[in-house]
Amino acid sequence: MFRELAALTRREFLRLARNPAAIFTSLLLPLLYLLLFGNGFTINPASFVGPNPGQFPTLPDALAYLFRGAPSYYSYFACGMVGFVAVTATLFAGANVIFDKLFGVFKRVRGTPAPSAAVFGSRLIASATQPILLAVFVLALAIVFAHIPGLHGLTVTASVGIVGALEVIAAIVLISLMFATLFLTFGILLEVPQTYFAAVNTINLPVLLTSDALYPWGTMPSWLQTISQYNPVSLAVNVLREVFFGSAAYPYGPGIYLAGLLGWTVVLVGLAIVLVGRALRPLA
Amino acid sequence: MSGEAIVTENLTKIYGGKVHAVAGISFAVKPGEAFGFLGPNGAGKTTTVSMLTAGLQPTSGSAVIDGLDLARHPEEIKRRIGVIFQESTADQDLTGRENLEVAAGCYGIPSGEGRARAKALIEQMQLVEAANRLAKTYSGGMRRRLELAVGLINRPRILFLDEPTLGLDPQGRAGFWSFVQKLRRETGLTVFVTTHYLDEADGMCDRIAIIDHGKIVATGAPTELKDRLGGDVVTLKTADGAANVTEVVRGLPGVSDVQKQDGTYRVKCASGETLVPIAVEACAKAGVGILGVTVKRPSLDEVFLEFTGREFREEGEGLTATDRAVMLNRIQGQMRGGRR
Repeated sequence: MFRELAALTRREFLRLARNPAAIFTSLLLPLLYLLLFGNGFTINPASFVGPNPGQFPTLPDALAYLFRGAPSYYSYFACGMVGFVAVTATLFAGANVIFDKLFGVFKRVRGTPAPSAAVFGSRLIASATQPILLAVFVLALAIVFAHIPGLHGLTVTASVGIVGALEVIAAIVLISLMFATLFLTFGILLEVPQTYFAAVNTINLPVLLTSDALYPWGTMPSWLQTISQYNPVSLAVNVLREVFFGSAAYPYGPGIYLAGLLGWTVVLVGLAIVLVGRALRPLA
Repeated sequence: MSGEAIVTENLTKIYGGKVHAVAGISFAVKPGEAFGFLGPNGAGKTTTVSMLTAGLQPTSGSAVIDGLDLARHPEEIKRRIGVIFQESTADQDLTGRENLEVAAGCYGIPSGEGRARAKALIEQMQLVEAANRLAKTYSGGMRRRLELAVGLINRPRILFLDEPTLGLDPQGRAGFWSFVQKLRRETGLTVFVTTHYLDEADGMCDRIAIIDHGKIVATGAPTELKDRLGGDVVTLKTADGAANVTEVVRGLPGVSDVQKQDGTYRVKCASGETLVPIAVEACAKAGVGILGVTVKRPSLDEVFLEFTGREFREEGEGLTATDRAVMLNRIQGQMRGGRR
């Protein structure tokens, strides 16, 4: 199992390294979002009155509700971008499986006795690594922007200890694994690119738009706030925001959100094991 | 039956409860034998290979590969066989060497051993110069040789080749088969090959099964099958509306059978060269205009016609198999180009 996994994982990373255009475009998207969207879309918390006038007598009160403790929309949004890239960077993981089916590569692998866990696992490792690296890129870039005059950036206001850093890493790894699992499963079960993209588009937009990755928490209607708190993207982003800006505006600590995220990941990996195992069994 | 490399009993594949892709075929292949599965597109060749290589569940029937029951030991069967698919399955973004090393890893071969096997196969397939180039830069013949090398990385006992020379020019086809023949001589490998190139089946295989509409219609050595035709075939083409020449020709010396098909008469006879002048004279006397005469020594084309009642490449089928293969190759090339 390990040799098969190692060989197929090597193949995935060789292919990735041979495609510099894909690496460039995967960096370009978050860069443009951070530079253009995050800097262009600003909200002044001082003018925010909230649902009930007089609810927020001071600026910290407004900030706590609107951005859940983040010092600015950009700082709030930069954490949301980590959830955003987890969805967008893993989206093509399944598409690559479909293209490998069309070009015969998948048929070759299936003709060998390599176990389905190695076939799936190798792609999962490669697909999840990309959003993990992108998340580091996003956070580093956002912190750098904070020090460039004229640009908004990510300002960390809480002290991040070792536990906090580990919580952030765990959130990034779990959200990346979860979406890589989801989209890879679609790729293995489906045969045609059109069907695949139709399927993933019915998932990625609703998932992103019902999360608080990009929307300021305080501007959401209450029903969306309710949905958002169960959304896996929100769960991951909440961990980052609590660690970076403090827990005052959150009903639970980062551990609870991590547990929720772990639950989502376990459920999806469990489903994938059943569905992918069935699809890739010999004599299927 | 024990000791056979491949044995099938009533092997059947029905798609959607209606389409009988393979309709109860039974045959046996001896160890070290080159067994050809010959038939036109859609005859059931690839479906048969997919089942025998543990890639597709048969609807009914059984198969034993290298002494292992297909239904019970599909994983172990995959370890013992090599498969060359009709399409290129090499990873185009990897070098030839990397393709082989990854394939070795898929069989659980340790990396050092995998590298050594890859090196040996690269030399054997004369790909040394191109070993470190990306597979997408390979010519058609090189790609096929790389496929062959990948199929041999696990040192299989049985090699399945599904239309392996599809899309290659005659030179590339000859080159590919010379590698396979050399391999057979050196290792005693059992080869199961599907093809719709009759000349390939004739020259390459010890025995052939002719498959049509999912059923085996004849099995035997190429010479045996040709002998069953009973000699040469003279084809007489007559003008439209000409009188029926069956009666004229049937009584001539050495003629064993006459069949009419679309204005031409296929006349089986002991010697074509002897019959032609006699037949032309007899037709002239009967007032039948002959537009053309051909004499064919028995070939597998004739065998196919004999056992299926139709030409190997049907009229109105449009493109020939070769044309389709060349087009397929071109389209795949364009898709790869577009993808890059």
